[in-house]
Amino acid sequence: MVDQLPNLGREEEMLKEMGVASIDALFADVPESVRMVGDLPLPDAQSEEELLADAKRLLGANLALGDQPSFLGAGLYRNFVPSCVFQLVTRGEFLTSYTPYQPEVSQGMLQAMWEFQSLISELIAMPITNLSLYDGSTAAAEALTCAVRVHTRKAEQKDTVYISELTPPDRVSVIHNYCQGAGIKVETLRHDENGCINLDDVERARGSCAVYVEQPNPLGIIDGGYPSLKEIIGDKTALIVGVQPVSLGLLEAPGNYGADIVIGEGQPLGSPITGGGPVYGIFGCTQPYLRLMPGRIVGRSIDVDGKEAYCLTLSTREQHIRRHRATSNICTNETLIALMGAMHMSLLGPEGLEQLAVRNMAACTQLKRQLAGVEGVTLPYDGQSHFNEFVVELPASTSACLAYLEANGVVGGFDVSNWYAEKTNQMLVTVTDQTSQRDLDRLVDCLRAWAQEVSA
Amino acid sequence: MSRLFEHFGAEGKGYAQPSPMLPATELDLPSNMVRKQLPRWPRLSEPEMVRHYTWLSKRNFGIDTGFYPLGSCTMKHNPRVNEVVAQLPGIADIHPHQPEHQLQGLLSIYYEMQDMLAICAGMDAVTLQPVAGAQGEFTAVRCFQEYFRHRGEHHRTKVIVPDSAHGTNPASAAMAGFEIIEIPSQEDGRIDLSALRAVVGDDTAAMMITNPNTLGLFEQDIAEASSIVHEVGGLMYYDGANFNAILGRTSPGLMGFDAVHYNLHKTFSQPHGGGGPGSGPIGVKEHLAPFLPSPIVARRAPTDDEKKQCVDDHWYTWHTPEHTIGKVQQWHGNAGAVLRCWAYYRRYGKELRTMSEHAVLNANYLRHAIHREAKAAGVDHLFVDGADTIVAKHEFTLSLGPAKESLGISAMDVAKGLLDMGYMAPTVYFPLVVPECMMIEPTETESKETLDTFARDFCKVLQLDAETLHNAPTTTPVRRVDEVYAARNLCLRHPFDDD
Ligand SMILES: Cc1ncc(COP(=O)(O)O)c(C=O)c1O
Repeated sequence: MVDQLPNLGREEEMLKEMGVASIDALFADVPESVRMVGDLPLPDAQSEEELLADAKRLLGANLALGDQPSFLGAGLYRNFVPSCVFQLVTRGEFLTSYTPYQPEVSQGMLQAMWEFQSLISELIAMPITNLSLYDGSTAAAEALTCAVRVHTRKAEQKDTVYISELTPPDRVSVIHNYCQGAGIKVETLRHDENGCINLDDVERARGSCAVYVEQPNPLGIIDGGYPSLKEIIGDKTALIVGVQPVSLGLLEAPGNYGADIVIGEGQPLGSPITGGGPVYGIFGCTQPYLRLMPGRIVGRSIDVDGKEAYCLTLSTREQHIRRHRATSNICTNETLIALMGAMHMSLLGPEGLEQLAVRNMAACTQLKRQLAGVEGVTLPYDGQSHFNEFVVELPASTSACLAYLEANGVVGGFDVSNWYAEKTNQMLVTVTDQTSQRDLDRLVDCLRAWAQEVSA
Repeated sequence: MSRLFEHFGAEGKGYAQPSPMLPATELDLPSNMVRKQLPRWPRLSEPEMVRHYTWLSKRNFGIDTGFYPLGSCTMKHNPRVNEVVAQLPGIADIHPHQPEHQLQGLLSIYYEMQDMLAICAGMDAVTLQPVAGAQGEFTAVRCFQEYFRHRGEHHRTKVIVPDSAHGTNPASAAMAGFEIIEIPSQEDGRIDLSALRAVVGDDTAAMMITNPNTLGLFEQDIAEASSIVHEVGGLMYYDGANFNAILGRTSPGLMGFDAVHYNLHKTFSQPHGGGGPGSGPIGVKEHLAPFLPSPIVARRAPTDDEKKQCVDDHWYTWHTPEHTIGKVQQWHGNAGAVLRCWAYYRRYGKELRTMSEHAVLNANYLRHAIHREAKAAGVDHLFVDGADTIVAKHEFTLSLGPAKESLGISAMDVAKGLLDMGYMAPTVYFPLVVPECMMIEPTETESKETLDTFARDFCKVLQLDAETLHNAPTTTPVRRVDEVYAARNLCLRHPFDDD
């Protein structure tokens, strides 16, 4: 504490100069009836060294995924973040700034965010991108409420949106929380046995305000049916596509197959997974949504000398001006993490992104091939293309399998029964660019041995 | 100028990576899903990239650059050890879906933070899931909503906010579907109890208010306001953005509040460069605890098996509140931010109160110094206090109304003049109830010398003539930016020649 407060020990001097008797006098306006008496029942202050020792001990008790082969993903993807990103993002001028209310002294961050918008717009093929929402889930939720604001007046199915039934329950929960206040009805769209969306069922969504799907979908499947979606639902219904941004080094950008709003969990570009946050939500849209979209956005402008300059723009949508009529309540967002994303993208370049996507998909394809030879383990959606992850059907419960893997030094995949209680024997296995051939071999050997053990 | 999109490295070259396990030709994609054109991103080598972002950083102002008295934002020093802590693999490289026995360290820290925040705010239960103050507000009003539904009180549809409230308060309540009733403040900026009495009723769900209020004044009638709202069956919500003023001296619990959000990135110093990330936990009284988002961390005695993996005498476990509203963020909130704030808190421990005392000391000292210097420089007629009070809390407001009237110098002009003196400008034009408002919050991490120098420089700016100030700033990377031009000629991304 003592090293954090420059005026410690100088209180008297300052009080005297003000003509104030004591620190207590500065709190004289706090009525006695609400004053806290006595010390806070908290431990003593620590020095930096003591804190660091405790942090290392406690965080050391967590199992860091890099310490062993790991196959957990389901929405967050371990990636390699180039060293420059950490070095640069922790420069004090970036790290310790805040919302650029004074553009003249915030050009660095403003320009970096305008460049971020440009990079993401190119990636997802949308003309407009904001400078981040909280995460992928709130981006999905805000996309749906935005689509309702735009379409509901003319919609036949007022205040109604359709989301894929595969949307992960945690994400659906966020969507429900955001939608219920606006009185939005959230319907679900069915999938076929093969894991792809049932295009006939999508017909029901015609005349509603929005359809939300993810590509790759939550089972890791690259759904080839999506290019038909826009035609089925028509112009008066927003097509919202959620993406894993790295996949777009290989997959068509949703803007090129009819998406009106593209959202995503930005994390794989630029950020470690960090227990799920801070990460950043990507939000991009087409022109009709611009004035009703959530979040901050940077525009390129000029200064009084006509010099290129950047500033926040279209703020009349936002809470500090529009108050209860604002398009969203978001104020503090995830800019610094988006900046890490921009840095990562600018190092990758187009071909670097493509290669990163190829590495992710190659590892996934390779694991599928290897698992095909394991007796007792099947791949229910084997006929589909997968990115990052796929479901395996196990000969016994996933929880038993995970325990076995852990005992053998492997962090297994995601237990699908957490999403769908009846799927007790399914595991969503995730690989990324950080998965090595040795990791794959280890998993395959363990699964083979375990499958033999349980079938014996 | 350094522009990202003006780096034209050779095609086909990109960031060097290991080879993929299989060649691209062996990957099987639906043919209609193959990307036809890669994003038209620039191509930079590492030296170019490093220089570009270093150049940008030099055109940006942070707390590290200089004094940042941005009112309502609590721009205090960000201790660097917190960045070191947040990059340890035990936080950077963990997944929220890992089983709890693999995350005992994280869970114990979550528990400690829940506990500490509950103690400091006088609340009974805390969730760390909301990732910003505004999301905390939204989460809390959603909990209120479910609480009332649970009690069959569907008629409670109105949320009361004072006109001095931050914009996120009404925005968050409206997002949850509530109708907003705005009540005027008194002349002195404080809450108007008769205006409050006039609007409360059967349909009142809640009142949202911050204390000290956005003028930096402690609302002395707060307990009375709480009972007015409680008497009609409504709930009291505390916007904790100004928690830095009162920590250890009073608490929302003592003032009669039912729920509170903490802006951890402000009070507990999570760096939020450019506008985020934040962390906005909420604390609630017992009657609202069953509605909190899931999961929160609970603890119990460990089993014999678990003892091997314990970090202390307890076993930490995720707990789903009985009538939970579900999730507001997909994972466990901004774990990395919570971690940094934990590191921050540990260095104060029970002396957090000293932190608040110094925040208030510094604010009052600066207010005093500005008046002192203004008298000496003969510019004291150009501004008045935004509110008539003997003491302020952690921030205070000034009205540049007199300067505007007599010389045509606006709060914005003064703000731009301060940029030329090497400062970040205070918050201007907020709260809306003070004309030509300037809201100044020095925080506890500024020295007396910095405050004295700022006071003198503030008065120097007031001595400048109107024309000079209309032209300010002149020493910054760009001069006044044309926001109207930006809005009329929308350019939101790099324009390509072939677009
Ligand atoms: C008084 C007040 N309330 C609420 C908020 C919203 O908090 P956040 O920006 O973390 O969403 C702020 C911050 O900007 C604030 O100053």
